[in-house]
Amino acid sequence: MTATTLEKAATEQAATVEFRGLRREFGATVALDGLDLTVRPGEFLALLGPSGCGKTTALRMLAGFEHPDSGAVLVDGRDITRVPAHRRDAGMVFQSYSLFPHLDAVDNVAFGLRMRGVRSAERRGRAAELLELVGLGDKGKRFPHQLSGGQQQRIALARALALRPRVLLLDEPLSALDAKVRLSLREEIRRLQQELGITTLFVTHDQEEALSIADRVAVMRAGRLEQCAEPAELYGRPATAFVAEFVGTMSRIAGTLKDGTVEVLGQRLPADGEAADGEVDVLVRPENLRVRADAHGGAQVVATAFLGAVVRLTVRLADGTEAKADLPAHEAAGLGAGAAVSVSLPERPVLVATRTRN
Amino acid sequence: MARRLTPWRWAVLGLAALYFLVPLAASVVFTVDDPDGISFDAYTRILSTGGFVSSLVLSLELALATIVVVLLLMVPAVVALRLGAPRLRPVVEVVCSLPLVVPPIAFVAGIVTVLKWGPDHLSRTPLFQTFVAIQNPGFPVVLVLAYVVMALPFVYRALDAGLRAMDVRTLVEAARSCGANGPQALVRAVLPNLRGALLNAAFLTLALVLGEFTVAQLLGYQPFAVWIYNVGGDQAQMSVAVSVLSLLVTWALLLALAGVGGGRNRTAPSRG
Amino acid sequence: MTTALPHTDVAPVASAKRRRRAPGWLAVLPLLVFTAVAFGLPAIAILDGAFTAKDATTGATSYTGANLTASLHGAYLTALLGSVKLSAISAVLGALLGLPLAQAVAGSRSRALREAVLTASGVLANFGGVPLAFAFVATLGNAGVLTMHLGLKDSGWNLYSFWGLVLVYLYFLIPLMVLTITPALDGLRAQWREAALNNGATGAQYWRHVALPVLAPSLLGGFVLLFGSAFAAYATAAAMVGSAVPLVTLQIADALSGNVLVGQENVALALSLDMVLVAGLVMAVYLPLQRRSARWLDA
Repeated sequence: MTATTLEKAATEQAATVEFRGLRREFGATVALDGLDLTVRPGEFLALLGPSGCGKTTALRMLAGFEHPDSGAVLVDGRDITRVPAHRRDAGMVFQSYSLFPHLDAVDNVAFGLRMRGVRSAERRGRAAELLELVGLGDKGKRFPHQLSGGQQQRIALARALALRPRVLLLDEPLSALDAKVRLSLREEIRRLQQELGITTLFVTHDQEEALSIADRVAVMRAGRLEQCAEPAELYGRPATAFVAEFVGTMSRIAGTLKDGTVEVLGQRLPADGEAADGEVDVLVRPENLRVRADAHGGAQVVATAFLGAVVRLTVRLADGTEAKADLPAHEAAGLGAGAAVSVSLPERPVLVATRTRN
Repeated sequence: MARRLTPWRWAVLGLAALYFLVPLAASVVFTVDDPDGISFDAYTRILSTGGFVSSLVLSLELALATIVVVLLLMVPAVVALRLGAPRLRPVVEVVCSLPLVVPPIAFVAGIVTVLKWGPDHLSRTPLFQTFVAIQNPGFPVVLVLAYVVMALPFVYRALDAGLRAMDVRTLVEAARSCGANGPQALVRAVLPNLRGALLNAAFLTLALVLGEFTVAQLLGYQPFAVWIYNVGGDQAQMSVAVSVLSLLVTWALLLALAGVGGGRNRTAPSRG
Repeated sequence: MTTALPHTDVAPVASAKRRRRAPGWLAVLPLLVFTAVAFGLPAIAILDGAFTAKDATTGATSYTGANLTASLHGAYLTALLGSVKLSAISAVLGALLGLPLAQAVAGSRSRALREAVLTASGVLANFGGVPLAFAFVATLGNAGVLTMHLGLKDSGWNLYSFWGLVLVYLYFLIPLMVLTITPALDGLRAQWREAALNNGATGAQYWRHVALPVLAPSLLGGFVLLFGSAFAAYATAAAMVGSAVPLVTLQIADALSGNVLVGQENVALALSLDMVLVAGLVMAVYLPLQRRSARWLDA
């Protein structure tokens, strides 16, 4: 399963992709509301967001299946907005069921070459090579209905690579698969992408998937880009409250902001983020919330969930709000539902956001 | 990709509308055309023409009897296929497809021959009385028998589609775990969910019987379709008027069905 | 109907009734008995009669292949071939004309248009028989509205002819094709079109290399269904052309009604057997095609 020299050639000419001010409305809904984003050569970029945020629309514009009302799509600085779909250099893997049902695996992969008029023997050789690349060298004669969902997606991946595209587009390719296959296939997609060095856009609504696979993750919301950053930065230093809560688990704890510090849980901590002085919410990751058994702590455990290495506690604070905390399993031993606890935060800057509840 | 109503689409739809609407419109024109202008005489005369009421009543009676018999035969069978006897499925499938292989004209040829066995071979046995009884001109049971056979494929398809949409076994088990006994489970849990499919099956059968001509004519009975044919010879305008009306009635029935049951299987038996 | 119910041990009801598990085939039995009588007897009669000859003087019967031979000669053969030719031509035209109509509907975003056309097709596919014949007589017959207004008679138009019948048959065959092929067109996934374009295919190449091959079993299945429908049609032809166009259904009806020589009943049965064989062949082609297209399009 190694990339051939043919594939490696792609590395040297990996493409830059730019979205400039993309706007698209479907009737009353705004799918894209001025999207600006640049994908670096050879980069694996995940487009992450809730459904309806415009991530798929953006991908389909790059593939040529949708057209922007305004704005432009550029590949290596060349405007391709008006280039028809079948002349774009972008291989796409769809969510599911995209293989042609009347063709076997080899012919599916070789389809693009056939459209280009490549001779039968040559295209079959190339298709076999690609099937080998995705680990299905022995399944060439199988038809789509004889293959599992995971195998079908591998073949779709091989087909997308057959014309040696400059950009690889993955539109939630794992969402129709079951958990185990999803995990192994995503690792393989990543490995393949690194071997080929091809610029790749990956659309997903699964934040864990995005964080684990991508070089950078672009979080979208309502047709706009919220933040585009490397996974660690996105998780550790989310630029907005939306990113903070969409990526990973986040609890909101009431605090009072004044002069750049926030008064929360009886502590005074430096504050990050944009909020006016006064009543704010402090955003806290479960692993950052400390919980200690304390009969006079004023907080109470309401539920526990065993997650393996850690136990996730749901704690009701003195003011009635609930927060999540992850504790190593051995520390959580005595803290069943109903236990009285005290809650604190580490002495580090915290992210604050405008209060959203009363 | 955005697909719009392109010119070729309009052209196709326009030509289709032309082909399908012109005969209807022309038929209406034909029926109201009168040397003195427009006359609805052809329509008013229908009611007073001999045989109209009796043939229509006969057709409706036949349809009702056929629907009752075919559902009584088919519903237990298809439900049983889901519950207790899945291995019989191929048998039932074949049985219900066989009538498709025998065109109505061939079927009636067979029936005519069977009915001749009565006087030829059975005249001294009690079976002969049965043969006479089923051919009673007042209510020809033999037509019901024939129509039930002809309706089998369509009724099977409609019911099977309805049952496929639900998990009968789970439904029955859920009903029984809630305390229903067997018949209750069937009547209270399964049949209500089959309502659409039953209506669909009933409609297809109704359409089949109301329009059936071949078997009835060759056996010498006069239900509605045969009556239209018979009056056509001397009262051209009126027979066309009846044809137009029968189309409108079919249309109304189908729309009513679509409204009630959201019917899916529209491939009713063709009776060209 | 209780016979068909499975017996459940785990019913939490206090009075857990223990039933003897009655076999499900009891519920199927009435259906089988009924078809054995109502369908089986006529079928046997056809088979038996087709091979039986009755001596006119003695009344004795004997088995013979003469009826079948006769049914494949002379006027009967002409009628059989006429039926096959009429059905084949109408079915090809019906399939070719029904496809674009169905595509115009399936590809459209308008739900109202789709519902209207499908409902209309449901009605029109059933609008066969005598009423259809009369509607066309009123339109294009010798005294028909269009014939009179457009002066078609002078240009040699005759509804009561082979092509006249084709025109009338299309009236229920095209809607039948629309009903048959629309689910298949709906089964064409948007991803296939997009994947094809993504692989460098033009719109025309997509139709040539993906859509039509995928639809092929459904198209062929539709054609076969149309053929069977046209082949079995009797009422329309009987009401319209009498015996101006030789058709096997008309021949059988004539023989049965005694319009021709006495003693032809057995030839009628032999002709019926010919029809059953053709129709059986049609189903034998249709069912595997149906299965294949279901596998491709529903997966």
